[in-house]
Amino acid sequence: MADKPIQGEKRMFMTGNEVCAYAALAAGVDIMYGYPITPQNEIMHYWTRLAPKHNRSFLQTEDEISAGFTTCGGVLSGKRAFTATAGPGNTLMQEPMSMAEMMRIPAVFIIQQRGGPSTATVIYSQQEVTMTCYGANGEGLRVVYSTANHQELYDYTIKAFNTAWKYRFPTFVLGDGYQAKMRESLTMYDPELRGIKMVDTYPLVGLPGKAGADRDPAHLRNTYNTEEELYEVVKELVATYEKFAPEIVEHTTMECDDAEVVILCHGIVSRAAVEAIRELRADGVKAGMFRPITLRPFPAEPLRNVVQKAKKLLIVESAEGQFARLALPSLYGLTTPMETIFKPGQGITSDEIVKKIKAMA
Amino acid sequence: MAKVVKIALAGEGGQGVQSVAEILTEAANEEGKEALYIPNFGVEQRGGVSIAFVQISDKEKVGSPKFEKADIVIALSDRAIRRCAQYVDGNTVFVYDTFIEGVEDDLPKGAKKVIGIPAIDTAKNELHPRVFNIIIMGAVVRATHVVSEERAKQALEDKLGYKFEQDPKLRELNYRALERGMQLVEGQL
Repeated sequence: MADKPIQGEKRMFMTGNEVCAYAALAAGVDIMYGYPITPQNEIMHYWTRLAPKHNRSFLQTEDEISAGFTTCGGVLSGKRAFTATAGPGNTLMQEPMSMAEMMRIPAVFIIQQRGGPSTATVIYSQQEVTMTCYGANGEGLRVVYSTANHQELYDYTIKAFNTAWKYRFPTFVLGDGYQAKMRESLTMYDPELRGIKMVDTYPLVGLPGKAGADRDPAHLRNTYNTEEELYEVVKELVATYEKFAPEIVEHTTMECDDAEVVILCHGIVSRAAVEAIRELRADGVKAGMFRPITLRPFPAEPLRNVVQKAKKLLIVESAEGQFARLALPSLYGLTTPMETIFKPGQGITSDEIVKKIKAMA
Repeated sequence: MAKVVKIALAGEGGQGVQSVAEILTEAANEEGKEALYIPNFGVEQRGGVSIAFVQISDKEKVGSPKFEKADIVIALSDRAIRRCAQYVDGNTVFVYDTFIEGVEDDLPKGAKKVIGIPAIDTAKNELHPRVFNIIIMGAVVRATHVVSEERAKQALEDKLGYKFEQDPKLRELNYRALERGMQLVEGQL
């Protein structure tokens, strides 16, 4: 890990998948475990091209279940490790992901959402929100960053490794097929030059000394015998997650101070919202946007404060209300009228949002 | 508000519309503009109409990767012409190849302008079938002015320079294709 694959700062023009591979490299990732699935294939492809040049490793597994578990295994041995998947692969990977929650394994997962259910399309959607935040059996004790552009794919892929290792909860970068495949500009940088220190990794098992005598045993359990035992463990996991949540949670707003209509959206849809707000403001319509960056934990309080002041709320997403279901509990009791644009598996343009808001006004 | 030029390039797989989009957006990026390109990557990847969605903005980041209506649509096959009707409105310049037969009724009625160019013919008879897509690139450059001619040439150099080194005639051929493409739309805009 002596070499610096990204020197200084550099403006680049490339696909989102390429960006993720470079970001992992810049973050000092030791190994990627992977299984191909569209639209995230090229994360693997680029990683396999870049990794040998920088003394990093790659293992292709027989399926996504295996890719998820080997990632957990790599992390247990002290490696900065990640995997990437999409759609049906995300479904299959839920089992290792829930194990990572239970055993506090700081694994990083990059998800490039595609249309569902099942194999559906290879293109685009925001339909993996519920699954990425709350998939598998368990309570969804995960960190999920929803990115909107290539710069964020780079920034948050790097950040995901630090969040994972600092708090020891599995951490997700939730992109989508459009971000994966489109080309646009971004600035790559050496994290250290921006004052970002990568959190040290360490083995969670196989520690030196005799367990019980020289040190506490590294007793990472994934199986419990009684209801009572499990209840206690999960309650403690939840309490730890909630304790850290205020440090982890992130959101951004645009023109919310005097907004009469607030657009609530996340990820790439927010780009259409930003464009729509510029247009609407030019026409004298007071529109604003609230965008959670972390979908887990969810920025409930700031959202409530914004919506409370607004006259109307518009939720926009490329899914049938998955994101709305995450957001609505934070708004319980408010009477702000709400409308939606739900387009499962289809992109959303600024024109649609502008039209809708003008019709709402 | 920054002006964003929206371009839809559509053809059959193998006609090279995706490489045109790639070279063009890289050229715009090199010029310091904000460019966004996304291929239509559904089943069309495996035989069918291939569409490249390109947006180039003076300074601000481009919004959503796809758009409803384009400023310019370039359709290079009969199926592409029909498929792209949805991206045309009163502000769209619609360019198609005059080599395509039997599409008179499919050409969009409400476009700002419909321009037929003999790109396939020019490639075949005047230059070389291999540079067909560079002729198209020339047409886009002239019709939109999203990048300068010099920058477009530089982008070709960046992309194909290693081939030009081996065979300098290729450089000349590609430059000529670019210029011919520009001439084909000139005067029709």
